[in-house]
Amino acid sequence: MIQLFLLIALVGYGLGIFLPLLAHRRPHVQNILAHGAALLGAVGGVVVGAMGLAAEGPYVFSLPSTLPLLRYAIRLDPLSAFFVLVISLVGVAVSVFAVGYVREFYGRHSIGALGALYNAFLLSMTLVVLADDGFFFLVVWEIMSLVSYFLVVTEHEKAEVRYAGFFYLIMTHVGTAFIIVTYLVFYQQAGSFSFEAFRNPSEPLPQGLRSVAFVASLIGFGTKAGIVPLHVWLPYAHPAAPSHVSALMSGVMIKTAIYGMVRVYFDFLGGEFPWWWGFVVLTVGAVSALLGVMYALMEHDLKSLLAYHSVENIGIILMGIGAGMIFQSYGLTQLAALGLLAGLYHTVNHAMFKGLLFLGAGSLLYATHTRNMEEYGGLIRKMPWTAFFFLVGAVSIAALPPSNGFVSEWLTFQSLFLSFQIPDLLVKMMLPIGAAMLALTGVLALACFAKAFGISFLAMPRSAHARNAREVPVAMRVGMAGLAVVCVLLGVAPMVVVPVIDRVTAPLIGVSIADKVLAEGGLALMPMGVGSAAISTPVLGLLLALLVPVAWLMAVVIGGKLRKRFYKTWGCGITLKPRMEYTATGFAQPIKQVFSTIYRPTVKLETELLEESRYFAKRMHFETHIEPVFQKYLYDPVVRSLNAVADRLRVVQAGSLQLYLSYIFVTLLILLLWVR
Amino acid sequence: MGVIHPDIASQMVDLCAALLLLTCFAIVAQRRLSACVDLFALQSVFLAVTAALVAFLTGIHHIYIAALLTVIIKVIVIPRILKKVIERLNVTRELVLNVNIPPSLLICGALVILAFYITQPIISLGFLLTKDSLAIALAIVLIGFFTMIARKKAVTQVVGFMVMENGLFLGATAAAYGMPLIVELGVFFDVLVAGLIIGIFTHRLQDTFDSVDTSKLTELKE
Amino acid sequence: MIESAVIVLGQAVAALLVSPFIVGLIRKVKARLQCRRGAGVIQPYYDLLKLFRKDVVVSTNTSWIFTATPYILFASTLMASLLVPIFLSKVPLNFAGDVITVVYLLALGTFFLMLAGLDAGSAFGGMGSSREAIVASLTEPAMILSIFAVGLTAGSTNLSTIVHKTALLQDIVTDPPPHLMAFVALFIVTLAETGRVPVDNPATHLELTMIHEAMVLEYSGRYLALVEWASALKLLLFLTLLSNIFAPWGIATEAEPARMALGVLVWLAKVSGLAVVIGVIESMFAKLRLFRVTDLLGVAFILSLLAVVFFYILRV
Repeated sequence: MIQLFLLIALVGYGLGIFLPLLAHRRPHVQNILAHGAALLGAVGGVVVGAMGLAAEGPYVFSLPSTLPLLRYAIRLDPLSAFFVLVISLVGVAVSVFAVGYVREFYGRHSIGALGALYNAFLLSMTLVVLADDGFFFLVVWEIMSLVSYFLVVTEHEKAEVRYAGFFYLIMTHVGTAFIIVTYLVFYQQAGSFSFEAFRNPSEPLPQGLRSVAFVASLIGFGTKAGIVPLHVWLPYAHPAAPSHVSALMSGVMIKTAIYGMVRVYFDFLGGEFPWWWGFVVLTVGAVSALLGVMYALMEHDLKSLLAYHSVENIGIILMGIGAGMIFQSYGLTQLAALGLLAGLYHTVNHAMFKGLLFLGAGSLLYATHTRNMEEYGGLIRKMPWTAFFFLVGAVSIAALPPSNGFVSEWLTFQSLFLSFQIPDLLVKMMLPIGAAMLALTGVLALACFAKAFGISFLAMPRSAHARNAREVPVAMRVGMAGLAVVCVLLGVAPMVVVPVIDRVTAPLIGVSIADKVLAEGGLALMPMGVGSAAISTPVLGLLLALLVPVAWLMAVVIGGKLRKRFYKTWGCGITLKPRMEYTATGFAQPIKQVFSTIYRPTVKLETELLEESRYFAKRMHFETHIEPVFQKYLYDPVVRSLNAVADRLRVVQAGSLQLYLSYIFVTLLILLLWVR
Repeated sequence: MGVIHPDIASQMVDLCAALLLLTCFAIVAQRRLSACVDLFALQSVFLAVTAALVAFLTGIHHIYIAALLTVIIKVIVIPRILKKVIERLNVTRELVLNVNIPPSLLICGALVILAFYITQPIISLGFLLTKDSLAIALAIVLIGFFTMIARKKAVTQVVGFMVMENGLFLGATAAAYGMPLIVELGVFFDVLVAGLIIGIFTHRLQDTFDSVDTSKLTELKE
Repeated sequence: MIESAVIVLGQAVAALLVSPFIVGLIRKVKARLQCRRGAGVIQPYYDLLKLFRKDVVVSTNTSWIFTATPYILFASTLMASLLVPIFLSKVPLNFAGDVITVVYLLALGTFFLMLAGLDAGSAFGGMGSSREAIVASLTEPAMILSIFAVGLTAGSTNLSTIVHKTALLQDIVTDPPPHLMAFVALFIVTLAETGRVPVDNPATHLELTMIHEAMVLEYSGRYLALVEWASALKLLLFLTLLSNIFAPWGIATEAEPARMALGVLVWLAKVSGLAVVIGVIESMFAKLRLFRVTDLLGVAFILSLLAVVFFYILRV
């Protein structure tokens, strides 16, 4: 049965790659073909994922290839099934959305190419998490990176898009290089690239090599995931890509990196870790989370803001995983399972709400043709559905009860809190500090989304773009609705989700905590058994939903019938204009000032005075920037030194034909002598 | 004397010591000069209460005298002197900071942790009534020293010095149930004289530079 | 089951009825300290009644968010109050949320209030939302850490467990320094979150000095009544947390009517005492400039961090 649906998925994506290219010059047909096929593939993927999670044992399939060392091997175990499910669910929603969205590109870019690349992207991501052979993994990983590069540079006529794509290409290859190093370390010990051999090598790896593998995979997968300081490409690439692609990249592609890390740490390097591994992951996670949200607050390009939030949420996921790893090093397996569970729950939550938010941003872009938040405003009246779905996404990402974000953040807090069982003093003190950073991150995210939603949708339109906006086509709304529904379900039904994720964590850590976590007849999550902390989002949601009409009823009983009058907002006697509204930059200004040690803002103000009277200003120019710390102190020096080295080496290329021939000649002579 | 359960007794002394530590943080977080002096007076009150409590619980009576001296000198006399200095010299109310408040708070937090880490071996051998207070005493000394470094005005140097002395007194009371009385008297007298000298010094500073910012002293070398 | 429902209802009624009294008490204390007679302690009840009956004026710039927010704010704050032990240590709803849930439920209300501030399109509302954002950002870490510190003594963040164990002094770590620090930290957080001097002045008329008031500037009639009541509830919730987590003695540890009645009286005494303290503090200090609030909240953060560290070092 699994084979059947796997085949459906592969065929679906495969058709999506080839068919659109055939229907030449008919963009609408290409659109329907591409996204219909993608939908087929994604639905197949959903079923495959679900079946893989429910299955008793892993499903393995492999084919030899014509190249030595390479086998087309796939394996569907609970971990890969989980990620296939996440990828495919988002894929379903985005494919529906894309049917409406790519109309933006009719006539300007080839829809066939876009559709084909889109399907190839989904296919490659699915294969990445299914791969059971190191070499095959690297091949599909590279395909995924290249396909996403081409998708990012769809609008290649814009210089900033080309720059973003180029930056992305370099960074992803740096990451791939480190992943290759990791797999080579395993290969060298195991003698083959098969993951099964990695998992159970004939002799176990010496500790030094294990640490090398750990560090290399952290850097390699971390580049793709977007941990600080390797995150700099994210805020360029995600906004540059078409919005439905950004939704996939941010929602799903960076999760394949999380898959890689979990696979390498818990599966291949499983069992005993030194405590510093988990500690490094936790620290990297905490720093990424905090810096991600801080830079997000200062952005007024909606898609860049969302991209930085992806950095933040990857940080939160890594905090859960890091805490799990620390507990594992001390043998506290139940707590380790809790940490990993929290990390994986946040993974699926983030995929859903980030996908939803990017689709919302795409809808805003479609309707107003600008990404700049400062030009939005009042869109809740023009685009009520988009506003509502965006609100659901905002509430989820701000982790407000009873949303799914709240559940996973609560689980992460609990795993950080339960650190008092660790014997080592220094390590166990770091976890509460991590909790403080998580709390700060959470509230800053709340502030950021109050800003994002408030400035974009509320009050009055700030520009002609916003005034002329209209609600987006049905397909786009349906796509967003689907993800919104999934977000809500993940929030109010954690008792269904937790046993599913437990099926993933149990084989990796060795204990199952599902029965300990559920309580009160399955209504509540209680990580440490009776008497310990618990939440019950269904009850919370129900009571909240009940208390609202109760409040309304109380108001009616005490105050009688509601009599409403409408009038203009009070503006101290002046008629309010949109220019007087609060701006996004203004909203974030106190935060910029309080945390100025991190932002190091620079302000430039130029005033041009009237010639007639030097007391009145004719023109004022105000610029404020925050210092791009990582680019200035980390990337630029590296680029400069690379350029310097390349300049030196340039001597070799003098341009003269005879010189090149003499190089070849000399090399030939040396080789001949050596062979002799 | 031995009527109160020893565990509750040590918890009560711990509580007083914690209140002392809190006032230290309040001093570090202050921007107003007169508030610093007031908080110092409050701290000395808590210190006297702690000493009296220790005296009550252990029955060593000469600690009562030390507590009384604390009240007279550190709660009444020295704050009076300092307030007079501030008034006479028309010192502006704002403090001049070498280190800003949030970083100073973090550093003070780190100093407390450091103090506990250092005194840990001593604490675990402890059989004394007030073992945790020794760590807090060391922390207060370090914070007092840090205040002298992190603030520029002369009056705040005095306050920092006095805070250090408070910490030492707490340490002596906590660890050794007080020093011999004659030593106590000597120390108090020294502190009083030091306060007077610094008061005079501040006057001279004002006369020479028309300001009590001690960083102006660097101008003397030219 | 019925018993639990009655207790939950009782908690709701207690919280709703007592919160305006607390606000009135604070105002009375301030008035007395200013050598005025001041309005009666029950004046807030009259104010709420008046507001409920008045017409509502809604700005033409606003959307459904503006009209929905008072109800959402009220519901979430009331929901949070139902999770906190008031007169009984084992709250029936303790399986639904712990103290972190309480913090995040309050954040839900704050989120919608920030949106409502932006909705009317006036610069004052935006300013209020923006300032609320920075104050909330600085209080959250301190709040979470002081909660952790207290939770560590009881081994859980479940409020009922903490209160129950502290009340019976069983199975719990008693240690004055971290408790004192956590208390002071949480007290400072209370002042910040409920918009009291020295962080925000609830009685000011000058928009440029407002934080919380600026966000609700456009509300009138029953909307304003609900928002005011929700603020009072939030204040009462924090005072209840402060008194019942750190000094819960007197609270009913079993669901027996006599003991619960005693619990109500003891609770009333404690929160009234804290209200008087707040009134005195509001009269002693001036409101801080917005960018000086960081210093104060920095103290709260350090104290809560030290409370947690103390626990680990002293329990080694």
